[in-house]
Amino acid sequence: MKKSLLAIALLSAIYGITAPSAYAKDVNLLNVSYDPTREFYQDFNKAFAAFWKTKTGDVVTVKTSHGGSGKQARAIIDGLDADVATLALAYDVDQLQEKAKLIPKDWQSRLQHNSSPYTSTIVFLVRKGNPKGIKDWNDLTKSGVSVITPNPKTSGGARWNYLAAWAYAKKQNGGDEAKTKEFVGKLFKNVPVLDTGARGSTTTFVERGIGDVLLAWENEAFLAQKELGVGKFEIVVPSLSILAEPPVTVVDKFAKKHGNEVVAKAYLDYLYTEEGQEIAAKNYYRPTLASVAKKYEGQFPKVNLVKIDDEFGGWQKAQKTHFSDGGTFDQIYQK
Amino acid sequence: MQFKFTKFATALIASGIISLPLAAHANDSSELEELRGLVQELSQQVKVLARKGEITEEETAAAKKTTPVVKASASGFGFASADGKNEIKFRGLVQSDGRVYTNGANDVRARSRNRAGSLDANGFHEAQDTALLRRVRPTIEGKIDGKYAFRFTPEFAGGSASVVDAYTDANFDPAFNVRAGKFKSAVGLERLQSGGDIKFLERSYVTNAILPNRDLGVSVYGDVAANKLNYNLGLVNGVSDAGNISTGTAYDGRPEVTGRIFTTPFNDSPTALSGLGFGIGATYTKFTGEQNLNWTDSNSADATRNGLPSYVSEGQQTFFRYGANAIADGERFRIAPQASYYFGPFGLIAEYARVQQDVSLTQKNEGDGSSTIDNSNLTYLQTLSDSKRRLKHDAWEVAASWLLTGEDASFKGVKPKNGFDLNKGGLGAWELVARYSRIDLDKDTFTKANNAAEYGAENATTIAGAYADATKSARSAQTWTAGVNWYLSQNAKIALNFEQTKFDGGALAAGQTSVGNTGLGIADRPDEKAILGRFQVAF
Repeated sequence: MKKSLLAIALLSAIYGITAPSAYAKDVNLLNVSYDPTREFYQDFNKAFAAFWKTKTGDVVTVKTSHGGSGKQARAIIDGLDADVATLALAYDVDQLQEKAKLIPKDWQSRLQHNSSPYTSTIVFLVRKGNPKGIKDWNDLTKSGVSVITPNPKTSGGARWNYLAAWAYAKKQNGGDEAKTKEFVGKLFKNVPVLDTGARGSTTTFVERGIGDVLLAWENEAFLAQKELGVGKFEIVVPSLSILAEPPVTVVDKFAKKHGNEVVAKAYLDYLYTEEGQEIAAKNYYRPTLASVAKKYEGQFPKVNLVKIDDEFGGWQKAQKTHFSDGGTFDQIYQK
Repeated sequence: MQFKFTKFATALIASGIISLPLAAHANDSSELEELRGLVQELSQQVKVLARKGEITEEETAAAKKTTPVVKASASGFGFASADGKNEIKFRGLVQSDGRVYTNGANDVRARSRNRAGSLDANGFHEAQDTALLRRVRPTIEGKIDGKYAFRFTPEFAGGSASVVDAYTDANFDPAFNVRAGKFKSAVGLERLQSGGDIKFLERSYVTNAILPNRDLGVSVYGDVAANKLNYNLGLVNGVSDAGNISTGTAYDGRPEVTGRIFTTPFNDSPTALSGLGFGIGATYTKFTGEQNLNWTDSNSADATRNGLPSYVSEGQQTFFRYGANAIADGERFRIAPQASYYFGPFGLIAEYARVQQDVSLTQKNEGDGSSTIDNSNLTYLQTLSDSKRRLKHDAWEVAASWLLTGEDASFKGVKPKNGFDLNKGGLGAWELVARYSRIDLDKDTFTKANNAAEYGAENATTIAGAYADATKSARSAQTWTAGVNWYLSQNAKIALNFEQTKFDGGALAAGQTSVGNTGLGIADRPDEKAILGRFQVAF
């Protein structure tokens, strides 16, 4: 008996010395994301963990942090050591490079579609029956219409909302800057409360019953309509909106510090796979993989979409003009 | 806030509901619609106000996570980052002392008969009553990134500024920390008690005579075994007994290794043993001191750099000094078993220390073989052959304290249940303390190097045979101390000690001019009786 035990112990020791790679590792990954991606990444994280376990044997636990995209970017810059960042817009990811050198300058070219594995747009969510008869952006400037949108200073979704409204007004006014500004100013005069993030605005509109219309990410509007308040809301697609391209990146400095570079890259690559794209589509994000996009094309309404680069000269310029201190948003919202 | 808004909204809606039947009775549908619209509008406004309140609360809570915190408390002043990982604190300790000697001698005899001042019957200068600043120590301490800490404490008492503590800590784990710089030597128990928390005005012979005070170097320390065992291992320059090194210069020899383990095996038990702790500390080095070339007899062992200490009484009067031609020459080993016990208002510290020091005597030499010694033109010194001896000095103490006002005793300071307040009638905390402490020097210290049976006396111009002069330095000192501590608050304390010290030897008997081979002619140094008082503010 004693000899057997000794043999087992010796074999275990030898196996432990000679075959350490046979043991699975426990990996912890932190994904710092923007507000409305909670449900999507809950599903995606499970799928990726299963995929990674099958591929490597390692047990990966992905934690996610959600908030206004701008706030999340600042949190990472201030030391929240995210392995990956999946934010609402490229400008916020740029800040990780500019303010803290956490990622390389060419971060956006490292993955397909400018590192945006899925897209979305901005739509209106109104109460059942659309009591205020809201059909397009110009209805939002009318007296007595209460509009819910988060604060563009802290929320990526809010910046998309703002720019979509701006693009519409600019088109309506033949490019007249002053009239466009006046239009957006009127719209924001109808905003009674500014939340810091998109999920907060959804709470304001859906749960607190405030406002007549919520300017929302398309996926957030679907979620509110189908899961948060079945039968209570309707989606209104405006005549023009904006193509929102939420980007993703490995936060190189922190991923390296945690020894998570490989798994972090794999996590983002998995977003582009058919499985990842399916999960995105099921959570109402528009897939970029053609086969999946085709499969779900009936789910997403056809919208006339402008692009940030074409309409505003890219995020850097849009941010400086509209959302930096003293920019057009500050000017119209203070009035 | 939320509750108020909800109540308000309910009231408004209720008023709307009440008004509806009235409107219906009026059969005025347009007025009814108008009222409905008004109620809805007001309801929206109330909801918006409530939501703004929620958002403000959320933002305030979020801001709290990043807003630095300013601290001002009895523990000091400072500021810290919201997550507590980065912090700086300003602390201070000021002790104003008074010493009254009803009897006692100042320093070793015959050092300077030309000095002003009266001499007692044995030719000693009398210990002088005095007021003084004992400690004036501002402290800046802090931590960075949650792991790295620092402390800087200068000393302004005594007429000149010096550095008491200046070190950095890397706190990797409660079980593994690294400290580098100048810091308290973790060897003795009483030494590790803060200068503001000590129960008596002066520490015992164990601490103030034998064990090192502060040193320069590096140490590794931590708490293990569920915080029941504390360890500390250091590598330092090495200081003479009770030494407080002030420069970065080590002696010629090995650095000193220090070590201490201390256990509190029952610290998580609810029994009377929970306050029991015991351990042992030790130091070891091997080095050679430097003889002072100009043969002056200096006040400070550090200044002469002979590597040998002088010892002071509890009244802070020097009663032992090595002879001017003695130097440390070889190994020095200290060992210090120690224990403490706290139960309710009762506190006890017991500690013993032994130092084994290799000592040799030196001989002046002109180098040219001349028999005439020219003190101003010495070229080198010789160690007197066969003069090395291993001298063993012992000290121990037992100190007890009792808090009369119901507070619990501890190794740290006392926080009164009721601070002293004339208007509210608070008495502060009152504590009685008593201690017996003694030191016994190796008898060979006073005998001639080549003849253990023969007593020697230092001579100013010729090499004496002994390591210390038995007619100037005492062979032992035994001190009784009793006192009372009045803690006016956590930060202010008034303390009064009465101490009486008896010496063995250290004086020349009346009518004698020299000491005989058997020690004949040696008398006891007069008793020291002193009242020591202190007013202390620490934060």
